[in-house]
Amino acid sequence: MNNRKKKEKMLNLLATLAVLIFALLVLLPIWWIFRSSLMSVAAVNAYPPSFIPYEWLLSNYSKALETFKYWTYFRNTFSIIIPAVTFGTVTAIFCGYAFARLQFRGKRLIFNVCVSTILLPGMVTLIPLYIMWTKFLGLGDTYWPLILPFLTGGGFFNIFLIRQFLMTIPKDLDEAASIDGAGRMRILWTILVPAIKPAIVVVGMMLFIQIWNDLLQQLIYINSMDKFTFAIALTNFTGSFGTNWPVALAATFMTILPGIIIYIFGQRSFVEGIVLTGMKN
Amino acid sequence: MNKISARPKSIHGKKEERTAYLCLIPAFLGISFISYFPTIAVFVLSFFEYNGLSSPKFVGLTNFQRIFTKDIYFAESIKATLLYAFLAVVGSIIYSLFIALLLNMKIYGRTLFRSIFFIPYLLPAIGVFKGWQWLYEQNFGLFNFILRMFGMRPHQFLDSPHEVIPSLVMIAVWCSGNLIVIFLAGLQNVPTVYREAAEVDGANTWQRFIHVTIPCIKPIIFYNVLTALITNLQVINPALALTDGGPGKKSMFMSYVIYLYGFQKNKLGYAAAYSVIFFILVGIFTAILFKTQREAIFGEES
Repeated sequence: MNNRKKKEKMLNLLATLAVLIFALLVLLPIWWIFRSSLMSVAAVNAYPPSFIPYEWLLSNYSKALETFKYWTYFRNTFSIIIPAVTFGTVTAIFCGYAFARLQFRGKRLIFNVCVSTILLPGMVTLIPLYIMWTKFLGLGDTYWPLILPFLTGGGFFNIFLIRQFLMTIPKDLDEAASIDGAGRMRILWTILVPAIKPAIVVVGMMLFIQIWNDLLQQLIYINSMDKFTFAIALTNFTGSFGTNWPVALAATFMTILPGIIIYIFGQRSFVEGIVLTGMKN
Repeated sequence: MNKISARPKSIHGKKEERTAYLCLIPAFLGISFISYFPTIAVFVLSFFEYNGLSSPKFVGLTNFQRIFTKDIYFAESIKATLLYAFLAVVGSIIYSLFIALLLNMKIYGRTLFRSIFFIPYLLPAIGVFKGWQWLYEQNFGLFNFILRMFGMRPHQFLDSPHEVIPSLVMIAVWCSGNLIVIFLAGLQNVPTVYREAAEVDGANTWQRFIHVTIPCIKPIIFYNVLTALITNLQVINPALALTDGGPGKKSMFMSYVIYLYGFQKNKLGYAAAYSVIFFILVGIFTAILFKTQREAIFGEES
């Protein structure tokens, strides 16, 4: 028995070592971008390359900021993200609640029709939606085509997730509250929402990542320079900077930074939320 | 699943129904205006010639005819899309399942590692591509340095017609931290009793993996393959951010061609016809996947 325990311990140690190596490999690209963004052109082109910069050239960042209007792009990007994530999460909660808790005619049919949209590739509707937003509604070169779709729960997957999670909360909880005289909406917002917080965090983060990762939609709807988001600005910026890699990478690193910071603060509840919600399949 | 009980049509039930419909208005609008109507519209538009300015002109099947016979991107775009999607799905599923299995063992600092593998997934796509472009740089990039260190010939990566797709797939695999977390959730659901029972029966680690772990997480594998497939068939960001479809049209993904025709050349009707073909292609692959899944389950039962 003792022998077996020893063997198991050895195995866990080996697994940890393997995970450590993979984790370092995964982090390497991020480190390499950061380290190069602090070096001079001559230093990044030196052979063999050094892992740690000799001197930390913050001037690359100030040089990038001369043409890369970071705070403008920051404000623009978040003026899409904040309303979209808020609207998306709130509407997903309402819809998820209806499917999880309420009885109504046509429930199964409506649910199946909605589920089927998960399989619809977004690329297919790109052209008609573009025509709708810009030609019919005249909303070209505004953020509305990027925000309004999130007023609808931001895709059925999020609604589904909230529903699944709500279904695991015992109904006694609602019933007790309704005996106390609380209305449905009161019950939803004061009892159920706190109870499904992990799922809500996941939905919020998924919506954030969806917009954060998007380039295509922003490219087709936004034209004026003063409305550029990080994604559009970075695409244009690195192109215009030619071979000055350190400056281009300084801009790149600045744009990936907000995501990393938000993740550091939210990662625990987020990853745990996914683990929890994944379990409820 | 709870059975939906037939409710007496009381005032209470009516009120409940009204609340439900009110709650569902956003979803209803979304499903109609963001999903269903545009899908119908794309089929209708595919029969028209439309440049976004003058009024649309009905042209019948001309758009399709031109795509199938004369289009300079069509064949290349299907090849690039399928190759990329296949490699990216296989690569990211193997990678993420492997890492999830490791993370599921009793390793030290699991929470920290779990978070690290997730990071690439939430970096903005465009930042990721710009960063990797530097790693792939031919003369001073990290990867060629490593290759040289091991005495291997440097590669052209993104500038080589043969290496561009595998290079982009590498990035996709690196970014698949979300799959790891979902696999991990599934693995933690596998009852330890099964594994212990198999162990008592004398099954070794590999046999336990094949006969206990894999069957238990089959639904999760299916879910991950399905979402990865739909995501990767729609690949467009690498072409937008890095390659412009090159070199030599080798990364002319179908989504990118739709973008080119729709927004660079203002041929919206033609782009719609292309979208229809793309829709059917994705539909076929999704259907095949669902079919194999059903067979896998039935095969097990018999």
